Amino acid sequence: MLNLIKKNKLPFISFLILSFFPIFVDSYYLSNISYFMCWTFISLGLALIWGIGGVLSFGQTVFFGLAGYSFAVISINFLGVVGVGIWSVFLALLITSLFGLIVGYFLFYGGIYDVFIGIVTLAITLVLETYLQQTAGPEYTIGTARLNGFNGMQGMPTIGFQELKYGRLEGFTQYYFILALAILALILLYKFKNSKLGLIFLATKEDRNRVASLGYNVQKVQLIAFVIASLLAGISGILYTNWGGYITPSSMGLVSAALPVVWVAASGKKDFFSVFIGTIFLVWLSQMLAINGAQFAIIAMGLILVISTRFFPDGIILMFKNKLIEKVKWLQS
Amino acid sequence: MIMLFNIVYQFGDALSFLLLSAIGLAVIFGMMKIINLAHGEFITVGAYGTVVSAKAFNLPLPIAMAFGVIITIIFGLILEKLIIRHLYGRPLDSVVATWGISLIVSQSFLVIFGPSLEGLQTPLGNFKLGDYSYSEYRIFLIFFAFILLGLLYVLFMKTSFGTLARATIEKPEIASSMGVNISDVYSVTFAIGAGLAGITGALYAPTMTVVPSIGQAFIVSAFITVVTAGASPFIGLIPAASFLSAVQTSVTFYYKATIGIIALLFSVILIIRFLPKGFSSLITKEK
Repeated sequence: MLNLIKKNKLPFISFLILSFFPIFVDSYYLSNISYFMCWTFISLGLALIWGIGGVLSFGQTVFFGLAGYSFAVISINFLGVVGVGIWSVFLALLITSLFGLIVGYFLFYGGIYDVFIGIVTLAITLVLETYLQQTAGPEYTIGTARLNGFNGMQGMPTIGFQELKYGRLEGFTQYYFILALAILALILLYKFKNSKLGLIFLATKEDRNRVASLGYNVQKVQLIAFVIASLLAGISGILYTNWGGYITPSSMGLVSAALPVVWVAASGKKDFFSVFIGTIFLVWLSQMLAINGAQFAIIAMGLILVISTRFFPDGIILMFKNKLIEKVKWLQS
Repeated sequence: MIMLFNIVYQFGDALSFLLLSAIGLAVIFGMMKIINLAHGEFITVGAYGTVVSAKAFNLPLPIAMAFGVIITIIFGLILEKLIIRHLYGRPLDSVVATWGISLIVSQSFLVIFGPSLEGLQTPLGNFKLGDYSYSEYRIFLIFFAFILLGLLYVLFMKTSFGTLARATIEKPEIASSMGVNISDVYSVTFAIGAGLAGITGALYAPTMTVVPSIGQAFIVSAFITVVTAGASPFIGLIPAASFLSAVQTSVTFYYKATIGIIALLFSVILIIRFLPKGFSSLITKEK
């Protein structure tokens, strides 16, 4: 454990600062930061498959939306049943991972590569969006849960133990739960990256055929990574649904689908910690610009993206991280 | 009989929409391998150029359209010089940069021109067949799309410029050492792609409400058509677009429009799975 901290001083300090945040900020900002952190999981999943394995999925939002909708449908149907705020989450994640398994099997065992993966996954997310958009009528119900078309679903219970005082994911509990989950995800992702499986996955980015001819099962490794990424996107979807109390089809649309790709690329897709910080930073930035800059906000956001790819091809956050570690001797391991 | 004509008309309309959506992207993404998420905004520039010049200077429609196309070409050239040329060979980075460009362009149009422009009248007339009324302009678009594609095929496959462009994109170092000014070839090829997107915008400007997000209507159709067209986009575009619009029109005819879109997207997934080299591989017999 101590060794882990010694090797990763910068992430450790960042998490220390994040964990003391609630003392300094009011509940509005706390909820806001929780919102930013909701999005880190979908980014981390994409960083795993794209940054390490070179698999660019343009449709991670399908897992985000599927998890959100599954959670909504299940929890609304079993509203009031003991522990529904807990097991409905696991059930929704199971459904999402299974779907990830099916999509991944179709992609990797079907010999679909490169840009085609992006198009297929984009098509899948747009199919689900288009379908859910037209479910406004009363005939579109699953059990007692109405899908509600464009407006999306709401009225699901808060995740957690409903009867305990701090048992539900809201306020402090939500913040610390998401933070702890993010730290756990980062540690596990680093472990995966450095494991044998992770190294094989990294090698598949460089040359699939060579890895295969060395006797490794390329498709299996890619599939495992893809399912992990879909699970992470699903976690984002459920946390988001829980945070806002709603989920809409537009969370699977073209604009939403492009956002994780943009966050990961602009942050630095090869480094999980940079992606974590970068996602929080970019979601915060677009929100802040939208509040303060009114109509020029989106233009500013666009300029930042263009300039960062033009001058910092490896990602702007990763560049800052490397500069910082280079300058501050103490941070080096 | 009238029913049959109705289906053929719907099919042709969907077909020309897919072809014209894709035609600029076939050059920029199909040939140059730049994942241009700002393709829709190139179309937006063409549409705004047409409508604004038609209104401001009271130009007749064809001249206003030419004006819109020229503006898009200039816009494309500037972008290429400033940003795109630094991204050749980094196709995945082009995703972020072009996404940024698309945000800047659509929002700038919103700031400058407001949420929507007063539209132009659809040119040419209508004709009636039975109970249905058909637009002559839309029939013109179908023929125009085919002519444009034919010209493009000739330009890139039969002229010396086309050979230079294909050689430069295939092996830039070798082309360069043979004395080709590859930087100019890239610029011109990109400008052609931008200009084609401008033509699409100009042609559809009189038929749609011109809003800053007008390009969003084209971008998905453009990408799916170019990808299913395959490695030789100019050959594959017509079969790909015909197949996709046949699926969409027939499903829409029996069910409804949204189910038609879902069927379209599903068929794209299946085409990529079972015909990974796209429709052009059926014609060129490429393995």
